[in-house]
Amino acid sequence: MASASRARKVIYPLYQLGNPQLRIFRPNFFMTLVRPGVPQPEDTVQFRVSMQMTRVDVKNYLEKIYKVPVSVVRTRIQYGANNKRNYKNQKMKQPDYKVAYVQLGQGQTFQFPNLFPEKDQTPEPGSVEDIQKRFMEEEIKMQKPDPRRGGVTDWFGL
Amino acid sequence: MRQKPKRRHLGSGNVSFRPDKALWGGSMMAVSLCRRFSTLLRVSGVLRQLPAAGLSGLSPNLLHKSTKIEPVYQCNFLHTTLSRKGLEEFFDEPKNWGETVVKSGDEWHASLLRNKSHEDLHKLWYVLLKEKNMLLTLQQEAKRQSLPMPSPERLEKVEKSMGRIDLVIKERETALRLLQTGHEKPQPGDWRNDFLGRTYWYRYKEWPIPWYLNSRHKRRKFFYTSRVNYFIRLRLEKYLKKQSRRKSLEKKKKLLLQKKFPHLAAQSKN
Repeated sequence: MASASRARKVIYPLYQLGNPQLRIFRPNFFMTLVRPGVPQPEDTVQFRVSMQMTRVDVKNYLEKIYKVPVSVVRTRIQYGANNKRNYKNQKMKQPDYKVAYVQLGQGQTFQFPNLFPEKDQTPEPGSVEDIQKRFMEEEIKMQKPDPRRGGVTDWFGL
Repeated sequence: MRQKPKRRHLGSGNVSFRPDKALWGGSMMAVSLCRRFSTLLRVSGVLRQLPAAGLSGLSPNLLHKSTKIEPVYQCNFLHTTLSRKGLEEFFDEPKNWGETVVKSGDEWHASLLRNKSHEDLHKLWYVLLKEKNMLLTLQQEAKRQSLPMPSPERLEKVEKSMGRIDLVIKERETALRLLQTGHEKPQPGDWRNDFLGRTYWYRYKEWPIPWYLNSRHKRRKFFYTSRVNYFIRLRLEKYLKKQSRRKSLEKKKKLLLQKKFPHLAAQSKN
C-alpha cells in the first residue's frame, strides 16, 4: 500500500511474479462513507476513496483496519463538474474522485444513519443561555415597529 | 479525540517524592524508613510467593496496623480502548449527533511523539486514520445537507498530528540510516549543473539499460560552457537586485510608518 516514505502520489510498479502483494502499512489513504445518491441494495456501502486505491486496497483496508467482512468491491471514477466559472470567468474544474461500492459479506447490511437529528435546544431555566435567549427575544420585540401605525415610518408624525 | 497516556506511576516501593527544604531532616528519615519497609516487603513477597496485599497480616510486628499497604505494581495495567466494531467507526458517537459543538483535546506535538516507541506511533497512526475518516464522512454529510459541520477544527488537528507522526518516523529512519550507511538521504544523489549553469540536486535511480545505450539520457547535459558565465553573472545580479529592492522597500515603509505615528516610533526606540 502506501510506502513508508509517504510519497504524495502512490505509483504502483508493474506486478511481476514474486513481487510482494498489496499490504497495509501505515497507509495515507482515506475513505469517506457517503450516503448513496442512487438507492443501493441493503448490503452495499458507498465510499469515496483516494484516487490511487485499487479494489484490493479497499478490501484490505476495510478488512484489516475496520474488521468488516467484504465480499466484492467495485470502483469507478467520478468526473468532477467542469461547468463552474470563477469571478474572472475562467473554467473551474472540480476534482475527480474515485467511488467504491462495497458489498458486505456474511449477510451484513448497512443503513446510513441520520447524523443531524433534530434536538430540542431548550436551555435550563436560570442558565446563561436562557437569559441570553430571553434578552434576544425582548430585543427583537422592541425593534419591531408598532403595528398600530400601519407601516408608517417612525420619523413621520409627532 | 486522543487518549492521553496515563502517567506512569512508580510502584509504592520506590519512594519518589521531592522533600521540602523545611522538612528536610524529617522527610529524609521517612524516606529511609520507607525504603527499609519496602525492601522487607519485597523480600518477604518473593519468599512467600504471595501478593503483597496479604503481607500486613503476616508481619504484624513490623508494621503499624493503621498503615495501609498498596501492592507493588511494576507495570501498568493492560489498557485497551472500547472496541466499536465495524462500519460504526465511520461515524461519531451517537451522543454527539446533532450537536453544534463537539469538544476535542489538543493535537499531538512532535516533542510528545518523540518520546513514543515505534510501535506506539504506528498504533496512534491508525487511531488518527480512523478519526480522520470519521471527520471526512461527517464533513461530506454536512455538505450534502448544507449544514455547518460541528467543530471543523478537529480535521486540521488530526491532519497536523499525522504529519508530525510522519516527521518523527522519518527522523528515526534518517538517524538509523546515518548509523548504518552514513547516507543522509534515502536516495543517493549529488549536486549537478544543468546547461545554463544552475545547480540542483540530482537523484540517482535504477535504469533498465546502461547509460551508454540510453540515447535519451545521453542527450542530457550536466555541464556548461564558458560562454554561459556571462549569463550566470547576470542571473546573480538580478537576484541581488531583487533582494536589495525588497530590503529598501521594507526600510521605506518603516520610515513612512514612523513618520505617520511619531509617538509610536518614540516608544519603539525606547
